[in-house]
Amino acid sequence: MKGDGHGGSGPELEAWEVFRQEKEGDPMRHGGSVMAPDADLATHYAREMYGRRQESVRLWIVRRADIVDLEDPDLLQPPLDRSFKKPGGYVMREKLAAAREAAGQEKPKARAR
Amino acid sequence: MTTAAAPVIAGLDGLLLSMADDEFVIGFSDSEWTGIAPMLEEDVAMSSLSQDELGHASALYALLAEVSGTDADALAFDREPADYRHARLLDQGRGDWAMTIARRYLYETSDAVRLEALAGGSWRPLAELTGKLQREERYHTMHIDAWFQRLARADGEPRERLLAALESLGPDAGTVFTPLPEEPALIAAGVLARPMAALERDWRSRMAASFANLDLPALPATADPARGRSDHGDAFTWLHGEFTMVRRSDAGATW
Repeated sequence: MKGDGHGGSGPELEAWEVFRQEKEGDPMRHGGSVMAPDADLATHYAREMYGRRQESVRLWIVRRADIVDLEDPDLLQPPLDRSFKKPGGYVMREKLAAAREAAGQEKPKARAR
Repeated sequence: MTTAAAPVIAGLDGLLLSMADDEFVIGFSDSEWTGIAPMLEEDVAMSSLSQDELGHASALYALLAEVSGTDADALAFDREPADYRHARLLDQGRGDWAMTIARRYLYETSDAVRLEALAGGSWRPLAELTGKLQREERYHTMHIDAWFQRLARADGEPRERLLAALESLGPDAGTVFTPLPEEPALIAAGVLARPMAALERDWRSRMAASFANLDLPALPATADPARGRSDHGDAFTWLHGEFTMVRRSDAGATW
């Protein structure tokens, strides 16, 4: 069992965020949070809340304090017009279709989910 | 579930009954924390662990029903308190949180040793069930190790309550290893690898190491070891009344 919190690391409860994976190949999605005093119990509780009915194949449990959070609007939503960064006039779908036609290739089938 | 006729192995019913009753009583007793556990996450965890124990009991009663030609529900609910064969360790109610943790620690560590002695046994249905129980018990062990250490290492009230609980449970601590009726037959048949007395010795040396590490006083010898699975007392009579209440209110009802 990994984790630095092997009992007795203090009486305080901390928040731990839990990310879960529904099935193999899916991205990790935020599920919610649990309160726990250390990594071992946080893992146990995360399994209870987000995995006890076999609904997840993987969990990531992260101490909220360890997450680097960015929500600064100056960085994420700067005020000057930067629409030139989005290649809106270059539609990939059209370019690919044209390239396939030039090469005489079929469009591959969609990947099974 | 096996379709072959269950073999006649002397002592098998006694073994299955002792295990099923252990899981049933501790599962029911600890489920009493639902709604009132110290914190939300533990309410869910303890309820879930208790449900697991009841599930294990259900599987064991089902095997016993096969072997003895009876019905699992009748086995679980229709006996008088004196006829239950769980370890005396499990007779009392859940007590305070420290008592629950101390008792679960003593029980889960004992059960782990017992399951090791049953793994790969000669009667396939029990050997297979043992394998599944061991896999689920890993999760139980994670939880109880974390909590036992937390309480033992915390100064003040948590540790004091744990010490009080261990003192109260001490004389009954080894009762999971009460020798079974017809134990030599079980060993000769290859169902149980070693006698309960040998398993208890192993368990006690593991406990000695773990307790020394946490600066806890050594466990005493079992009081009245021959009656480790009988003479259950008033506390269990009350618990029995609780878990048979629904069944007794309408005997023979089905869902």
